[in-house]
Amino acid sequence: MVDLLPHILNGLTLGLLFALIALGFTMIVGVMEIINLAHGSLFALGAYFALSMLGGSWFGDTAFGAWWLSLSVETRYVAALFVGPLLAAIAGMALELCLRPTYGKAPLYGLLLTFGAALVIEEIIRLGWGTGEQNLAIPSAINGPVLVAGFIYSKYKFFAAGFSLLAIVAVWLFLEKTPYGAIIKAGAHDSEMVRALGYDLSKLRLLVFGFGAALAGLAGIVMVPIWGLRPHVGVDVVIPAFLIIVMGGIGSFWGAVAAALMVGLAVGITGAYAGAWATMSMYILLIVVVGFRSRGLFGRKSVLEN
Amino acid sequence: MSQSRFTRRGLLGAAAAGGAVTFFAGPWKHNRVWAAASDKPIRIGLTSDASGQYANSGASDRRGMIMAIDEANERGGILGRKVEYVHIDTETIPATGSRVAERMITREECGFLIGAVHSGVANAISQVAQKYGVIYMNTNSSSPTEAGQNCHRTKFVWDGNGTNFAKATVKNAIDTYGKKWMLLTNDYVWGHDTAKATKALLDQYGGEVIEEILIPQGTRDFTSALLRVQQQKPAVVSAAIGGDDQKAFRQQVAQLGMDKNPAWINSQQDWPDIYGLPLDNLFGVFGTTWYYKLDLPGVAEFVKKYQERYPDTQMRVPGNVFYNGYMATRELLSAIERAGSTNNIAIIKALEGHKMSATDRMQHHDAWIDANTHQVQQTIYLATANSKWSEADKDDMFEIVASAAPEDVIDTDAAAACKLESYEETPTFDA
Amino acid sequence: MISLSDIPSRSTVRHWVPIAVLALALAFAPWWLPTVGLYQYLGIEITIWMIFALGFNLLFGYAGLHSFGHGAYLGIGAYAFGLFQQQVAVSLWGGLAAAIFAAGLAGAVVGAFISHRRGIYYALLTIAFGQVFWFTSMKLHGITGGEDGLLGIPRPPLTFFGLEFSLRDNLALFYLSAFCLLATVLILWRLVHSPFGRVLQALRQNETRARFAGYEVWRFKWAAFVISAMFAGLAGGLFSMAQQSAYPDVMSLHQSGLIVMMVLVGGGLVGFWGPVFGVILYFVTRDVLGGITETWLLWFGLMFMAMVILRPEGLAGMFHLAWNRLRGARAVSTPLTSEPDLAGRKT
Repeated sequence: MVDLLPHILNGLTLGLLFALIALGFTMIVGVMEIINLAHGSLFALGAYFALSMLGGSWFGDTAFGAWWLSLSVETRYVAALFVGPLLAAIAGMALELCLRPTYGKAPLYGLLLTFGAALVIEEIIRLGWGTGEQNLAIPSAINGPVLVAGFIYSKYKFFAAGFSLLAIVAVWLFLEKTPYGAIIKAGAHDSEMVRALGYDLSKLRLLVFGFGAALAGLAGIVMVPIWGLRPHVGVDVVIPAFLIIVMGGIGSFWGAVAAALMVGLAVGITGAYAGAWATMSMYILLIVVVGFRSRGLFGRKSVLEN
Repeated sequence: MSQSRFTRRGLLGAAAAGGAVTFFAGPWKHNRVWAAASDKPIRIGLTSDASGQYANSGASDRRGMIMAIDEANERGGILGRKVEYVHIDTETIPATGSRVAERMITREECGFLIGAVHSGVANAISQVAQKYGVIYMNTNSSSPTEAGQNCHRTKFVWDGNGTNFAKATVKNAIDTYGKKWMLLTNDYVWGHDTAKATKALLDQYGGEVIEEILIPQGTRDFTSALLRVQQQKPAVVSAAIGGDDQKAFRQQVAQLGMDKNPAWINSQQDWPDIYGLPLDNLFGVFGTTWYYKLDLPGVAEFVKKYQERYPDTQMRVPGNVFYNGYMATRELLSAIERAGSTNNIAIIKALEGHKMSATDRMQHHDAWIDANTHQVQQTIYLATANSKWSEADKDDMFEIVASAAPEDVIDTDAAAACKLESYEETPTFDA
Repeated sequence: MISLSDIPSRSTVRHWVPIAVLALALAFAPWWLPTVGLYQYLGIEITIWMIFALGFNLLFGYAGLHSFGHGAYLGIGAYAFGLFQQQVAVSLWGGLAAAIFAAGLAGAVVGAFISHRRGIYYALLTIAFGQVFWFTSMKLHGITGGEDGLLGIPRPPLTFFGLEFSLRDNLALFYLSAFCLLATVLILWRLVHSPFGRVLQALRQNETRARFAGYEVWRFKWAAFVISAMFAGLAGGLFSMAQQSAYPDVMSLHQSGLIVMMVLVGGGLVGFWGPVFGVILYFVTRDVLGGITETWLLWFGLMFMAMVILRPEGLAGMFHLAWNRLRGARAVSTPLTSEPDLAGRKT
């Protein structure tokens, strides 16, 4: 049993990271009733934007570029943490505008459009940043090994997990305690009524999509030093995110978090003892969970079931 | 006049058009005998990946091939004929490889195919090539099966495989570091074959495998495996992890500071996969077939030619992938000259058993093309990260610690498993 | 937007005309393929994918069940054919039968699991099962050869009433595959215009009402899944003959998504021939554009997105509308954007 402990710790860490990725996804699904298959691509875009920002490649040889590179890695990293998601949000909002003609139709069209968008964004990334694997420079304060109970762990992973936890709590507070959050939740529950009450539904949808995209981009920046960065990483990410949402129950915030932790634990533990099954374990987990609770752990009946 | 879709005029017109088409374009069977005319250029199909997991290596591979072709043309061509090439992206997908090979042979009329990194793609292409009798150079796929059960009369393999590298490293590592080993194996054929070779050698030299962890392809997070390594405390870890997974793996090991202990034995390290990585990611001992700073005649000039020809690429110096692409193409063209014709069987016979001197190859030992497996037996170098690395010369990342002669590291299992098709079974034509 | 049920089965165009046109085009393909810059092997691939797409559209367009993991059944058919040749006997009909059976069996198992779902849960479970099949084929590399592939699959000769034809040549295999395509078209045409097909369309429009009308919804959904898997298996068997090998890649999510794209762009949602147009467009684009630029998928993806936004009825829908416009407005009375209202009525 003691042997299992480091793997449990690893699994929980992994789970929190998955939860961060699933967060933006579940918001969009909850409010817009759209399965955004381009979520992974927005994740990747956020990371690539941060890469370009950190490395200063956008500023080229200008004076600004020189000044930018003279700043410490820490400053640039923090700046990228803010600006990267912002740029991803803009991309997300552009995508939302493309999605408008598909509202009111079967969810299939949204799904297909976002699938196409995912393909297109991956190609654009390939064109813009090349096909090779890249690295993000991270501040040394959060990089390197750390000893916990005699085992070496990655400091960065703990940072990332802690960051995810903060983000989850922050988003929850936003949704529960602020008036904007209330509007968003109302929009998820009954969008027509929200419109009848005088809120601009189009603007609401646009902002929520942007917010979800920003969360995706943020997750991207945080995950890159762990997972590496290549154009295909978007697809690698969207499937687990999708699984987690469905497992947790579409539209349920804490369902997504719980499911993410379960997936993290499954992958972490099988990775050590039944390595070959590690990646498959999340699919099997999904099939088992959905087999017993057809709406997922905490799911409620949603429009998506039609 | 009826409302029907077919009018009489329309039908007559269609019949006339159909007749005209049939007259001008009968069902061609691709007929190559008429290529005896010497004015026709030699067409080579470059089947390298431009997208997918091996896009980077594919691009480097292709640059090597193109440099060799351009050099041949500058010398006046081969047998007085210009050498042309066609490139189509094989996308690191085997089905695409089949289609690309078919297209190049039937539509683009290529007489030769060159290039591969992924063994599945190499297999797909070589099956099609063998069907038509087209010679195929597998430049960079290092799966042991390429020279073993998947060998073909028309296929020639230019890279060292996992068994060669294992033979070069294992005994040495047992003597230097210890007998308790752990294996980290990428869960696909290349990983398994390499692990199998390693286990056989461990058996032979008295090593012991305490645990093998299988790592699925596409794994991005290796923490579970690395925690197990910490729990088991082996003396040596032999890691057979390929492609993009390898980069994430290296990064994570370096981040955990595990690069010095335990000792790491990695298999072949492709240059495009580590170029530009921080040096601490390059831990352990790994293999390669060539390095740009080998202290041998001709190497410096070769590197300079690369830099002049490709000033805009991200890689400022060439590596083993470029080298294999170049060598394969160059030797193919010189085999055509030796054979004196473009008859495929004649060229195959000119290639089988062909010896290439060490100076010619810019390696430490002579090399030759094994007549039984069609794999090039060449020098295998062992390297570690350069302990004298400096920012001023940041590309000089390797430190060559040993070189193994090809005779000492021959893959005998492959030789046993390989059954080449006979000359009679292979379709013959003049390219 | 118009949908499948809007195109009446007794259309103004005699229904055998498109089938005849297809048959003629296939029969004369070796003549006109090279003149348009294509080649025989591509012709084989196109016919194979048409079989796959038409079978898939039974599920996707007619039954309205969106499967994003259908590549798995193509792959299973390919492996089954190959393994049959290598382990049992070198036989064409045996191999194809094995391919159809194996894919159908897999479809039956998965279908049993998912057929009581619909919508997004259905789609997601098809993805999950598709991925499981993909992983399994990579894992069981002792049997399937893993990512090296199952190699050396022979092309068995075609024996027909004592006559034997070799399939080694691409031309011969093309004719076999074209024959299978015509058979597929005829079978599926009969199927969708039969009561079974009408029930599938009823399911698509309103599953609850179909249940209330007394139909065993689960059974029809399951049957549609199995039949589409069987056609995928047939396509897979032919594909493994074309390549003379079988690889796990066709089972990946990317490839499964491509068939969805092809069928949608072609207009599978509104017309029987939609999948055919979609396959042609995709393969020709890939070959022609792919020879020019490496980013052809970008352009195809953008076109796909534009189609979904502007013309979800796809090519078949566009042709149908153009045809009716030529013939006068009286032929079609259904407006362009008609969606069933809340009570399920078409306005």
